[in-house]
Amino acid sequence: MHNHRHSLECILPEHMLEQIATKGSDAQKQMAMDNINVVYQLRAERAMRASLADLFAPTMPRAADGGKERIVYDVKRGTSLPGAAVRREGDPASADAAVNEAYDGSGITYDLYKEVYGRNSINNNAMRLDSSVHYRTGYDNAFWDGKQMVYGDGDENLPAEDRLFNRFTIAIDIIGHELTHGVTQFEAKLVYSQQPGALNEHMSDVFGSLVKQYQSRQTAAEADWIIGAGLFTPNVNGVGIRTMKAPGSAYDDPVIGKDPQPAHMKDYVNTASDNGGVHINSGIPNHAFYRAAMEIGGYAWEKAGMVWYATLRDKLGENSNFQQCADLTHQTAGELFGSGSLEQQAVKNGWAGVGITIGGETPEPKGCLEATLRFIGAAPS
Amino acid sequence: MDVERIKFERTGGFAGIRLAADFDVSDLPDDLSQTLRELLDALDFPELPAKLTGGELIPDSFTYSITVEAGKWHHTVITGDAPEDEKMQELLELLNRLARKKIKRH
Repeated sequence: MHNHRHSLECILPEHMLEQIATKGSDAQKQMAMDNINVVYQLRAERAMRASLADLFAPTMPRAADGGKERIVYDVKRGTSLPGAAVRREGDPASADAAVNEAYDGSGITYDLYKEVYGRNSINNNAMRLDSSVHYRTGYDNAFWDGKQMVYGDGDENLPAEDRLFNRFTIAIDIIGHELTHGVTQFEAKLVYSQQPGALNEHMSDVFGSLVKQYQSRQTAAEADWIIGAGLFTPNVNGVGIRTMKAPGSAYDDPVIGKDPQPAHMKDYVNTASDNGGVHINSGIPNHAFYRAAMEIGGYAWEKAGMVWYATLRDKLGENSNFQQCADLTHQTAGELFGSGSLEQQAVKNGWAGVGITIGGETPEPKGCLEATLRFIGAAPS
Repeated sequence: MDVERIKFERTGGFAGIRLAADFDVSDLPDDLSQTLRELLDALDFPELPAKLTGGELIPDSFTYSITVEAGKWHHTVITGDAPEDEKMQELLELLNRLARKKIKRH
């Protein structure tokens, strides 16, 4: 399913590119220049992204009572957001399942952040939670647009035997996932590319899964740790979109292929697709979180979740990579539970289980180094 | 415009599942190939920049790559999920639909 490209599509260190651009053959120079242009382009996009939250901040709608306020809109298969308001805070349930799922799911997500982490909504300033359902036709997706959640209905426009996806409100962890993109936008502002982008995705999967566990009052051992359970129709051979317990095993299907997520740094995927594999390599930190939460035991949102939340809020920055995330969650666990505490040890072990050593060197993604060596003619044959 | 072949790829999205398809335009039903040609003409596709803005900074949104080929000539355009041009939105919807048809299970 996925291209494992081994050309220079990974982002090489700039000093290396400049070296090649000056000293390489003509063809090498051209390729290096193309890559340098990509680096510059990414940098411009990062600058834009950093300003996204600032751009929207003044216009963010605030809950009327300074607490929890939800509005669900119906886009009626169109594209104009947000659409017509169909359920407001306190309104009785609708006859439309998607409306109720968006309403209930955003409510439980609000509750987890407020009651467990003391955070008042996405921006910690009572931002109203707006969700739009029935976006476009045949839209196999859900996203956070910087201001609100947006959900498609899956393959509702295809004959039943051809459908792969159900509506995207069907799994509560998808709702928690999208809302957490909003939290990240206001806190660490992780850029949506390469490792910082995979961490952005990781945080959304962590808190999406914790919302589901919190709703069902499940311990780490009781939880299934699947992201998007129920999203696939019975036509697909798969349990969900991702699994934090065993990344890479969520689905294996003749039509959509196999779950491409790695669970360890040795299997890190270098690709230009998907903003540098943000939905792929998130499997590595996802599995580290799972291992830490399992070792700590009990309700994962209480301790492991608290460590990750405090790290997202206070420590990670827009360009943080996996190694820094590991080091900073370890540091946070020490601050919250004591240096050398069982909790801190569990965080260390969790990361060790995916090939990341606390305080270690930032591992150079393997494929990237190989590509560089091959490119300059120094690759072992 | 003269179009022989179209390569289409959709990546990203919440599920991160790639959707891709190659079409020989001559294999499409007449009404579809006609619509496709009209959209490409209306967009002046050969003159479009290699990268369009719109939607690429949005978490979980899709990224699309469209390559149009005619003989030795080819042109690729990458775009996010929310291009400003409505014709481009129509083109994406049509290509999505065609790609899904190609991979339907039977």
